[in-house]
Amino acid sequence: MTKYVARRLLQAALTVFCVLTIAFVLGRASGKPAALMLTEGATEQQIHDLNETLGFNRPLLEQYLDFATGVLSGDFGNSYRNPGVPAITLIAERLPATMTLALTAFAVGLALALIAALAIHIRGSKLLRSLFIWGGSMRQSIPDFFFGVLLVLIFSVGLGALPSLGYTGPSSFVLPVATIATAQFVLYVRLLDSSLSEQAGQEYVRTAYARGKSHPAVVVTEMLPNALLPVLTVAGLNLAGLLGGAVIVEQVFAWPGLGEVLITAVSQRDFAVVQAGLLVVAMIFVIVNIAVDVLYSVIDPRVRPS
Amino acid sequence: MIPTVTIAMAVETPRVGRRRARSRTRGSVLPFVGVALIASMLLFVLIVPLLPGFDPLAQDLSRARLLPFADPAHPLGTDAIGRDSLSRLAEGGRTTMLIALAIVAINLVLGVTMGLCAGFFGGWMDSFITLVSEVNLAMPVVLLLIAIASIVGPSALLMVIVLGCTFWMGYARVARATAMSLRDRDFVLAPQMLGAGAGWTIRKHILPHVVPQMLILAVTDIGVVMLIQAGLDYLGLGVQPPSPTWGGLILEGQKTLRIDPWPAVLPGLAIFLVVVGIQFLSQKFTAEGTLPLRKVR
Repeated sequence: MTKYVARRLLQAALTVFCVLTIAFVLGRASGKPAALMLTEGATEQQIHDLNETLGFNRPLLEQYLDFATGVLSGDFGNSYRNPGVPAITLIAERLPATMTLALTAFAVGLALALIAALAIHIRGSKLLRSLFIWGGSMRQSIPDFFFGVLLVLIFSVGLGALPSLGYTGPSSFVLPVATIATAQFVLYVRLLDSSLSEQAGQEYVRTAYARGKSHPAVVVTEMLPNALLPVLTVAGLNLAGLLGGAVIVEQVFAWPGLGEVLITAVSQRDFAVVQAGLLVVAMIFVIVNIAVDVLYSVIDPRVRPS
Repeated sequence: MIPTVTIAMAVETPRVGRRRARSRTRGSVLPFVGVALIASMLLFVLIVPLLPGFDPLAQDLSRARLLPFADPAHPLGTDAIGRDSLSRLAEGGRTTMLIALAIVAINLVLGVTMGLCAGFFGGWMDSFITLVSEVNLAMPVVLLLIAIASIVGPSALLMVIVLGCTFWMGYARVARATAMSLRDRDFVLAPQMLGAGAGWTIRKHILPHVVPQMLILAVTDIGVVMLIQAGLDYLGLGVQPPSPTWGGLILEGQKTLRIDPWPAVLPGLAIFLVVVGIQFLSQKFTAEGTLPLRKVR
């Protein structure tokens, strides 16, 4: 067990190392940042001086080590466009809004999927299954941001029932959460349905029936706990995509999250800010996935490599 | 959120029960509906540019914001600066589909090459590809594209390169498994014994075995890629204005949503029809929903 965790940590460290290196290479591939930070009319000498003060003229290896130790201790450098403002501050201000949106939507989507999958299997109804999976597939064929636009059109423009822009209170959550949650729903209803179906053929299920348990009880107390395990893994792997997708949906609803900061950073060519965002998301991803893997091997001893 | 589609499909790769699936879908009309949908969208984007008056960029402020069917010269109306919506929809569709095809083609070639090498040679090649997948999963493609765009500026080419290099893992996984299962078979070992090189052996004796699966995967992926690409165009990270794309048109249309929803709704509908068409078509190859349900007692 300790060995497994150690190997997993090593793997994670390697991933973080790669992500750091990619971020560093990206940042330097376009030349030294001073040219980006100064105005168009800056002289060669001014650019050189700024590079000198910021340490961009030092050997690359030295810069890389500085960068890596900085990031690991929480220092992501300053924004190129807002002098003196640490890039991480800009990210940290907005990350909670994005996380709240993404995680709420994830929880709602998963809860709906759980109810749908249980309904399919407790009723044993092929009709319900086709309904949910086909409905879900149709929803999945609509780009998330366009689904958001449709919701705005129906509920804000048409019915005038819900706010469509920014955060003005709890009701602001409804449309963006509905947009992301319905996309999450398909993923998990498919997964839960196929893993419940897989469990249905197992010996222990037959035993449970033999002991006289009712069908709903078998589904909920015997099959469900086993069927939930793959959800854990997929949810972990899905995290980065969930946040990335939330960034797009935020734009539809003018949600005050990461999306706005990042898109502004692109138009201002402020790589430092985007880099901080990318690194933070990647690290959250790596940490969550280690947690998932370790948790998984605690819950289900079968996956522990001997 | 969209990339996870590929992951989910890999988790429940529907190779098992293929025969049963075939017999189940034999009578199904869905794949034909899919082909019909895709064909009609293709015809639409190919024929509209041949019509008289086709011009996706010409502005006419005196005829701005016409509703659909209001003017015979502009069957679908015009946008906020009087550009013909029908022309822009067709031109945007052509761009969107071409870019999706280019991205999938790059993914396909990259994934098959990496997967075959990993499976055939094993060892460090294999570990390397696993590592690349890990790193790739940790960096959402949206953020990666945003990062690079913040250095060099957003462009269509950049989007093609970034998406082309980040969605090949599905192909690699399947190609790797096939290559591993074949590398010790006699028909692969024999030519090597006679002096054939590894590259030749892979091309001649292993590649043909993965091509059908790869093409099926590629068809499904066109839909997935189109959805992501539309999202990126919507963020302004893909094709740059004034060139229309379906994602970009939705962004433009959203600004006038309260006055006239059509400019936003039509391109969205177009994306939906193509992606649904591809989903229907790929039903022919997958066994979704065929696992037995336990009877209620």
